[in-house]
Amino acid sequence: MSHSQAEVTQAEASGEFEPRIVAFLCKWCSSAGSDLAGVSRMQYPSNATPITVPCSGSVSPMYILSAFKKGADGVLVSGCHIGDCHYIEGNFLARRKIHLVKELLGFVGIEPDRFRMSWVSAAEGAKYSNVIKDFVEDLKPLGPQNKMKADRS
Amino acid sequence: MINIQDMRDTARGLLTKKEVRAVIGYRRSTNGMLAEPVVITDPAQADELIWDPTCFHNLSLYLVEDRKFLTHVRKTADAPIAIVAKGCDARSIVVLMQEHYFERKDVYIIGMSCEGSGVLDERKLAAKGIRATDAAFDGDDFVFATAQGEQRIAAREVMADRCLECREPFPKEHNAVLGENKTGRELNAPFTALHRFEELDAGARWKFWEHQFERCIRCFACRSVCPMCYCEECVVDSISFPVTGQTSAEEKANRVRWIERSATRPENMTYHMTRVLHLAGRCIDCNECERVCPVNIPLRLLNNKMEREAREEFGYEPGASIGGPSLTASFLDTDPGKFIR
Ligand code: SF4
Ligand code: SF4
Repeated sequence: MSHSQAEVTQAEASGEFEPRIVAFLCKWCSSAGSDLAGVSRMQYPSNATPITVPCSGSVSPMYILSAFKKGADGVLVSGCHIGDCHYIEGNFLARRKIHLVKELLGFVGIEPDRFRMSWVSAAEGAKYSNVIKDFVEDLKPLGPQNKMKADRS
Repeated sequence: MINIQDMRDTARGLLTKKEVRAVIGYRRSTNGMLAEPVVITDPAQADELIWDPTCFHNLSLYLVEDRKFLTHVRKTADAPIAIVAKGCDARSIVVLMQEHYFERKDVYIIGMSCEGSGVLDERKLAAKGIRATDAAFDGDDFVFATAQGEQRIAAREVMADRCLECREPFPKEHNAVLGENKTGRELNAPFTALHRFEELDAGARWKFWEHQFERCIRCFACRSVCPMCYCEECVVDSISFPVTGQTSAEEKANRVRWIERSATRPENMTYHMTRVLHLAGRCIDCNECERVCPVNIPLRLLNNKMEREAREEFGYEPGASIGGPSLTASFLDTDPGKFIR
């Protein structure tokens, strides 16, 4: 267990709110970027559960809605910079689709800070760690996400 | 003014010459004032057809049903099918052709111009306490036959919101067309209802939608009536995954269930957001979904939100061209990306 993960567990035990983030990372860039952050021993909060997807363009809105329904406090979609997509245009398609999802979430009254998209290349380990740090910072004041979370008690 | 007889003659002519195998149109229902959909195959039935402010249904759903039926019985059509279509209905037919659900030659569009008017919103009429047995267009008015005699009301007072805000009340795509083209007669600016709603802050919007999503009973009437919801298997049905004798218990247990069947708020919310995202760039605002909802969920707000985003951010107009790209399968280099970190 990494240092920060131990901290999270500790914080949870002490009752401090630790947001849970589901991060959809594209295999070619952002996932590699998060690996780089790891192997470079960068310190960043371990609140994000990474899910590797082939491409940011392959992230169906259903993944995002489902993550919120299963209780995610925040959802991140991250892919290659525009122009760098392994499939040439996947991230262009993602940009459009995700824009709609983001607008819709805000429209029904979900806090805009709960959903985020970023471009992180395989060389940007530091950027990845910052994206996560900022996200966690922004999520903490919002508290748990209960609007879409299914009650499974 | 459209002469109803012209529409009947058009239908009769097409059927007599066997240019089409059927005509989908409207007739008077047995239940008072309202029109109801009818499919006629005999030229003699053409006189049943009507055209009045209660012809609010989007009949293109029956083109979808027809196609499904033909596939089911493994037949191909020997002639096109004719359909009476308003501006909005014609746009939905364009979307279906754009998605290659059927081809242009498979359908004969008898376009009806709304001629600067629009169709009735029953709820608005009921709110005025008017019970009518007949309705007719008359310039800027609707004329209702009631027990107290004829009643004339300014059309815009009881017209459906979508008609008030309609940008193109004329079926641009058509084989034959009746009535004058009065495009540009917007009575309300587009998205008026949406703008009004968006004046609420995020907290108030959530209160509103929380209540609405609690109320939905997930009867799926909104999905059934939508001509764009034509998929044989819908992602929101966990039951529609094929289960055969070979399906193991483990496979069944591991089936992806995006949405549970219970009509609870989180499930309903996921359903509605999925529905509207799958209709983004395809919904042409016929508002049939909202009309059929038994508990009056304001679905048009959600549909319009996506429509306006598509229009303002991506310059996309649904139902504008048969050959054009679809909203989410295309992109522009100039698409907004400021929200991305
Ligand atoms: S919104 Fe209305 S029509 Fe649609 S499933 Fe819910 S209750 Fe049924
Ligand atoms: S979503 Fe509603 S308004 Fe849009 S096309 Fe379907 S039935 Fe018509």
